[in-house]
Amino acid sequence: MHSILAVDDSASMRQMVSFTLKSAGYNVVEAVDGQDAWEKAGGRSFDLVLTDQNMPRMDGISLTKKLRENPQFKATPILILTTESSDQMKMAGRSAGATGWLVKPFDPNKLLEVIKKVIR
Amino acid sequence: MAEMNTDNSQSAGIDLSQFYQVFFEEAGENLDNMERLLLGLDITQADDEELNAIFRCAHSIKGGAATFGFSDVAELTHQMETLLDKLRRHELAPNASMVDVLLASGDALKAQLARHQGNGGDAIDTTDLLANVRALVAGQAPTAVAAAPAVVAQVAAAAPAKGKRLVELRVGPLSNLAQADELRDLFKEIEGLGTIEDLPSFPDQANTRRFKLETASAESDLLDLFTFHVSREEVVFLPWSEGGVQVDPDKGLFEGGAAAAHEEPGYGFFDNAPGAPLSGVASAASASAEVVQASSAAAKPAAKADKPAAGGLESSTIRVSVEKVDQLINLVGELVITQAMLAQNSRGLDPVLYQQLVSGLTDLDRNTRDLQEAVMSIRMIPMSTVFSRFPRMLRDLANKLGKKVELVMQGESTELDKGLVEKITDPLTHLVRNSCDHGVEMPADRLARGKPEVGTITLAASHQGGSIVIEVRDDGRGLNREKLISKAREKGIDAPDTMSDSDCWNLIFAPGFSTADEVTDVSGRGVGMDVVKRNITSLGGTVEIDSAEGYGMRVSVRLPLTLAIMDGMSVGVGEEVYILPLSSVVESFQVNEEMVKTIGGSGRVVEVREEYMPVIELEKVFGVPRFDWEHTSGIMVVVEAEGGRVALLVDELLGQQQVVVKNLESNYRKVNDVSGATIMGDGRVALILDVGSLVRRSRH
Repeated sequence: MHSILAVDDSASMRQMVSFTLKSAGYNVVEAVDGQDAWEKAGGRSFDLVLTDQNMPRMDGISLTKKLRENPQFKATPILILTTESSDQMKMAGRSAGATGWLVKPFDPNKLLEVIKKVIR
Repeated sequence: MAEMNTDNSQSAGIDLSQFYQVFFEEAGENLDNMERLLLGLDITQADDEELNAIFRCAHSIKGGAATFGFSDVAELTHQMETLLDKLRRHELAPNASMVDVLLASGDALKAQLARHQGNGGDAIDTTDLLANVRALVAGQAPTAVAAAPAVVAQVAAAAPAKGKRLVELRVGPLSNLAQADELRDLFKEIEGLGTIEDLPSFPDQANTRRFKLETASAESDLLDLFTFHVSREEVVFLPWSEGGVQVDPDKGLFEGGAAAAHEEPGYGFFDNAPGAPLSGVASAASASAEVVQASSAAAKPAAKADKPAAGGLESSTIRVSVEKVDQLINLVGELVITQAMLAQNSRGLDPVLYQQLVSGLTDLDRNTRDLQEAVMSIRMIPMSTVFSRFPRMLRDLANKLGKKVELVMQGESTELDKGLVEKITDPLTHLVRNSCDHGVEMPADRLARGKPEVGTITLAASHQGGSIVIEVRDDGRGLNREKLISKAREKGIDAPDTMSDSDCWNLIFAPGFSTADEVTDVSGRGVGMDVVKRNITSLGGTVEIDSAEGYGMRVSVRLPLTLAIMDGMSVGVGEEVYILPLSSVVESFQVNEEMVKTIGGSGRVVEVREEYMPVIELEKVFGVPRFDWEHTSGIMVVVEAEGGRVALLVDELLGQQQVVVKNLESNYRKVNDVSGATIMGDGRVALILDVGSLVRRSRH
């Protein structure tokens, strides 16, 4: 079973994402912000990281950078879920090493559709 | 690509409405946070971290609202977010009117959310607010800050009949789906209720019926009707959305992106990024090497490698409904009673013969007590939940009165029973208003008296013994002894010049007493300190006042930590046992005939230390049958409440104990002079007397 690390500081978004993924048969670990995700990422591997961008303590871009420094996450797909899809955000996401982005708000269908493109 | 579903709350077979409650709670927390941060914001040197935090509150609400289809909330938060984004990027400098508009927007959001939560009501008109926020974003002044969001009758473009709106109703899960047919009949029977149409059920929720309502009635009214047939928990009202996602992710609210390769609406992948589709893993490695930029940091050793990889939510708190907690408290109450019965019944057992049983009962005693304490602590919530409303209230109030007031809060983390917290809110609000309105002087007056221009109101909570003490202090003008006494005499209250200060201050608790020279619309509307005192007394609490003229005033409210357990004194009358709240018992003594005098043919009084007190014979109040005609009871217990004392005539004093208070009204009906009941160690029910009511009885 594929494991996904889902990071969002909003409990309702986290529940929604988590529920969607679990219903589709994925194993989900939730984290409440970048720092929490970084701690939970230690010592295990994930098939995908889905992270919100704007969060307290550590944002999605910083989390992406940190994860990419870890050999275990070198090739792991990391998707940033964001309400901002400006070029500036994309530049930052790209240079941090993110795989791609998904604009919020999104439909659960779309989330699953995008995930199927990166998890094989 | 999967088909877009036509119902925004039902996507990918997933019912989004199941997340609404979490979203509402979370949005409420975010709004409270935002308000607190805005009130604490120093406009002259705003802290970046604070501005970021405020931005995040709006941002988070927007994200959820857009996802779950609350487009009005999403729209307003989007505008707020734009303004807050400019602030945190220092493209605009914060000013007072921004804070005002943002606070007003927060109020409007609360109203919108309440409406979506099914509290009914008309649509919230945010046209002015939105215009104001946009003006501020553009660097202009807002046109007018509406104090409260104007409510307009909904102008429905979807054209339901005049005054009516469309609502989706979900009823379930039901054990018998036909139950919901009763609701359809309601609409047939009651003219003017509106129309109801069946909607297809969702496959994953076959036990839930869906209806489309067109109605002008408030959702709370509908709910009251429906609960004749189905239970309240089974009914959910949802905003109606015709044909699809209310907020289209690809257009409208948010600017779509157009930068990267493999562009598809709403998402995209970076070329050669690790894990990106259509790019080989080989090239991904090189891409990420480039990104890492030869950073020296070797990956941090995994500190928590041994942590179990649980796939669920790891959170330190859970949300539990109050009913569940109350049920738990009730069950523990029953357990305490059972334990007390066992203890009483086993008293006569020979400890040598029944050694194991006795030691088991001792353990049971201790464990029950610990369990009770632990369960009671679940209901405890910090005072900050009450205190948090005051910064905003005082800010608005001080602005209105032209005063300058600073609020200091101490001991916000002090915990109190949830039921008490809810009931103490109004009295505290009144006290704080009083302090601001009557206590703190106008800035010019303060300066003239050599005081700092800004007055200070302090709210402090602390635990003292088994009680919580909440103080409201101000450094205002304080109470004027002469004024109080002359006012009291005007009202026909006995107020000798020699009365002690504390008695004098207590005069303000007399009904209808107000020292304000003119009645303002803030406080002093006739609902006075007497109501405050009565409310606090009914919670088993006391109020004390301390004041020094010119220097300020302090009101201390002392409350028991919980309403569920009470220290009581049990007294016997005939065959019956009654419980008196220990906090209201003053003294008890043996009387002889000459101390009791009959006055005016009706009442009897007893003389205690040259003071006469009305006597109440409990056996007459409750009509206790007496078989022992010879017996003359001779014990008086003096109790005090609402500023008065009465002597209760009883047969015997049985002892003091903690009792578990059971509500008589919800289990039986309201009984005069009785505030509740409890079950004694021997299994008998004893009534807990309402001392306030007995004192009032003696006045008539």
